[in-house]
Amino acid sequence: MIGSRRQILVRKTLLWIALILGACFAGLPVLWMVSSSFKSNLKIFAYPPALIDESFSFEAYQAVLGDPGQLRFFFNSYLVAILVTICTVVTSIMAGYAFSRYDFRFKKILNLVIIGVQSVPPITLMIPYFGLIVWLKIYNTYTALVLTYMVFTLSYAIIMMTGYFNTLPRDLDEAVMIDGGGSFVTLWRILVPISLPGIVAVGVYTFMLAWNEFLFALTLTRTNDMRTVPIGIHLLMGQHSFEWNQMLALSVLGSLPVLILFLLFQRYFIAGMSAGSVKG
Amino acid sequence: MATATQSQVVEPANIGWEQRKRKLLPYGYLSPTLLLLATLTVVPIVTVFLYSLFDNVIVNPNPPEFVGLENYIKALSHRKFRAALSNTMYFATASVVAHFVIGLSFALLLNSRLLAANVKALFRVIYILPWVFTASIIAILWRLLLNPHGVVNFVLLEVGLVPELLEWLSDRDLAIHAVTFINIWSGYPFYLVSFLAGLQGIPDDLYEAGHVDGANSWQLFRFITLPQLRPIIISLALLDFIWTLHQFTLVWMTTGGGSNSEVLSTYTYKAAFSSYEFSEASTLAMVILAMCTFFGIFYVRSQRMTDE
Amino acid sequence: MKRYMFALLMILLLAFSAGIAASQDITLEFQQWWEPELPEGSFRAILDEFEAANPGIKVETISGPYLTTKDQIIASAATGTMADVVGLDGAWVNVLWKQGALASLTQAMADADYDDSELAAQIKLAGETYMIPIANFIYPVFVNLDMLAAAGIDPPSTRAEFAAAAEALTDPDNNVYGWAQPLSLEQPNGIQNDTMSWLWATGGSMLDDMGQPNLVGNEQLAETMAYIKSLHDAGVVAPGSFAMKENEKVEEFVNERVAMIINTLAHFTLIRERNPDLNFDITALPAAEGYDGPRGLPYASWGIGISANTEHTAEAWKLIDFLTSVEGNSKLTSIANAFPGNVNATPDFIQTDELFMTAFEIFQAGYLANEFTGLPAAEELMRRFDEPFQLYLEGDMELGDFLDEAQAEWEDIFS
Repeated sequence: MIGSRRQILVRKTLLWIALILGACFAGLPVLWMVSSSFKSNLKIFAYPPALIDESFSFEAYQAVLGDPGQLRFFFNSYLVAILVTICTVVTSIMAGYAFSRYDFRFKKILNLVIIGVQSVPPITLMIPYFGLIVWLKIYNTYTALVLTYMVFTLSYAIIMMTGYFNTLPRDLDEAVMIDGGGSFVTLWRILVPISLPGIVAVGVYTFMLAWNEFLFALTLTRTNDMRTVPIGIHLLMGQHSFEWNQMLALSVLGSLPVLILFLLFQRYFIAGMSAGSVKG
Repeated sequence: MATATQSQVVEPANIGWEQRKRKLLPYGYLSPTLLLLATLTVVPIVTVFLYSLFDNVIVNPNPPEFVGLENYIKALSHRKFRAALSNTMYFATASVVAHFVIGLSFALLLNSRLLAANVKALFRVIYILPWVFTASIIAILWRLLLNPHGVVNFVLLEVGLVPELLEWLSDRDLAIHAVTFINIWSGYPFYLVSFLAGLQGIPDDLYEAGHVDGANSWQLFRFITLPQLRPIIISLALLDFIWTLHQFTLVWMTTGGGSNSEVLSTYTYKAAFSSYEFSEASTLAMVILAMCTFFGIFYVRSQRMTDE
Repeated sequence: MKRYMFALLMILLLAFSAGIAASQDITLEFQQWWEPELPEGSFRAILDEFEAANPGIKVETISGPYLTTKDQIIASAATGTMADVVGLDGAWVNVLWKQGALASLTQAMADADYDDSELAAQIKLAGETYMIPIANFIYPVFVNLDMLAAAGIDPPSTRAEFAAAAEALTDPDNNVYGWAQPLSLEQPNGIQNDTMSWLWATGGSMLDDMGQPNLVGNEQLAETMAYIKSLHDAGVVAPGSFAMKENEKVEEFVNERVAMIINTLAHFTLIRERNPDLNFDITALPAAEGYDGPRGLPYASWGIGISANTEHTAEAWKLIDFLTSVEGNSKLTSIANAFPGNVNATPDFIQTDELFMTAFEIFQAGYLANEFTGLPAAEELMRRFDEPFQLYLEGDMELGDFLDEAQAEWEDIFS
């Protein structure tokens, strides 16, 4: 059924060639970014280019890590991203539960609205949105950023959570209900613990988006003690010149938390995404 | 809360209340979402819609003047709008198709039984790398790579694939393709992860049955894998199409919409923050919103079909 | 419960007394993009001096990246959250003025009984001042002396000499070019600094006497554009022009792939830092043959203005007064490597640095010329000029058609 040993060998070789080609496509640009972050600003533009040259140094990393202002950006990014993740997960669990387990009058319309809100191009909303945040008196606060990123992430988070709950048999919660458990108990004690993959998927997705957002992070904050890593990167793009190596070093450092998160949770993450999309 | 519910179940007199509560419950669960979306998106969207019906908004000392649909007629009939629209369509369609092909190919590779689990884990991380960077850094990285004296030209020249240094981002025939390529690179990992998930969800016995029927790999892919992934494919493609229509930073920071690579989002941004025609920009925003909603309805339909 | 009440009371009391203490101090918000551009802490040091000299006034800086500062100021003006004092670029002042976001400085000066004779320039709209340039960065031509010496030529001073030099310096096989012209549409300031500057250096103008666009039938302008096209046609311009940005032009120069660029003096230290071995000099922008009048020097400014919504106009003016005074302006322009906005201020580099002395001579022999300052949607004007200009350079559009189209686009913005 599987074929001869020779056939397997050929298949394996082809598979590895394809894998490595794919890895080049995905990884080489990133490798170039990492190598450039170790170069001097002069050598980043050298021609012919070299992956590593004599200007190799950790200077850019020292500059970034030795600057308390930059570290503050990291702190803010973590804080905002973690808060957004928690809030979005809780909110989307509740909404997903409603969509998955209840039939109600405006279900279809509400579903459309929740998906529809992400159809609005964010840049065009900037001025009225900014005005609203000022009017709500949350301008230049973490609250503004957290609420904004919740708006960005909720649509897809709800879609994922609804999908995940749909894969879990209804008998499960109905059994609890019959035993006298309320819907709230059913949700938090029964459904949530077995939905961990779905929750991780929502969490990772949310964290990534919140970690990388730039435009609103800039508009809704005014002092550097409220700002996040993507703004830190932009602050290195001066009026006349860029601090290339520091920018790239900061990006590399900024991507690490996201990568580690993915590394740790990839199994859950992928399992969670699956349920969100495939008919269970 | 839990105890309260328990007592109500016991008392039959409360059944009417219980039913009403069951009707209201879903709204309760949805209330945080609805409250947030109603204040933070509906208000600005309505504001932008009103702007689009007026002239002299925001940066004009004259009082706003109601002009009805005049802004729409003006905006839609502009030749630059039509150019941006056709570029956007190309940009979005090519991105979605390529995302799909690359995402699915990589997912199939990573799903192979011939690979050890830790090898898969390593390559999974490599393959999602483009996903972890903020859009402006992706733009800057690719400007470095695609610089006429950048490493891409160097390699292509050494290998002999191109006769001379190419101006990827400033050549009128190349720029829109280069930008589309960058968007493809940065966006496929989302598909990859979703397809990986989808592939794991396909029951093994389907393939075993296929083998018993004597199907070859292509037939297994064509008649089992693809149909099983259909719901993911549809929802991903529609969502991605909407997200690509919004893609601003990548295009703006690589070509600035120059060399024939203008898309609707850069065109709208220029109307707002370069020409200061906020009425026009709001009108364009509503046009993009209408387009996205159009696709959004398809999306909801496809979701509903999946649910049934 | 009582304990809580007591604690609450204490907190309220504390807050109240803190409020009283705070109310004696006025805090001015100062939004600009300068702080990240300057050596760490140096801008704050100047502001600390201001605070020391003006007890009761505190200055809080709100700093952002240059590229987004304009959008941020416009958005904050639209929502009434604009800072009391703002850094301005000549290209934005018109839209903010139109928006009603800027206070008249003429009024503030009158209220403060200020003598404006020391100010090098004031940007006026409808007869009143709205922006004062406090630091100016002129754009001479930077030349790579080693490359010039290798080719056996002197720094050019006329257009023909420049073209000949660029030709001699270009060596495409080694990726070396005579000149670089950044024309990115994201940042179209190449139209101002690297294009119109050629016209101004020859005493030309892109506007008529009424300040309206004058691109059609403008002999000098047509000649200038044809001249630039001849450089592109001769293959002496570095590739990638149409997407190149200002900073990339400089990277090409410091990597010795481009021999001559029109560039801001603000880059002095940067170029020396990046490539200490680079042997370069500066010279005035070449003029057309036979022109011996004063040469217009393109420049960029750090301008300053006051928000129309501020409650502290008098204090805001004090800050501007300090930054434009002989002492304050000398300090600021010293750390920024800029020419002063106060005619009597002397930044210390002018005496200590030979290249700056040359620059100062160029500055004194010419006049500051940047016709885009104060024009409506100045950046958009550059962009709409850039689009047909690129078509013309590519040979897809005739000179006449290009200027006709640019004129029509500009009139559209002016009307």
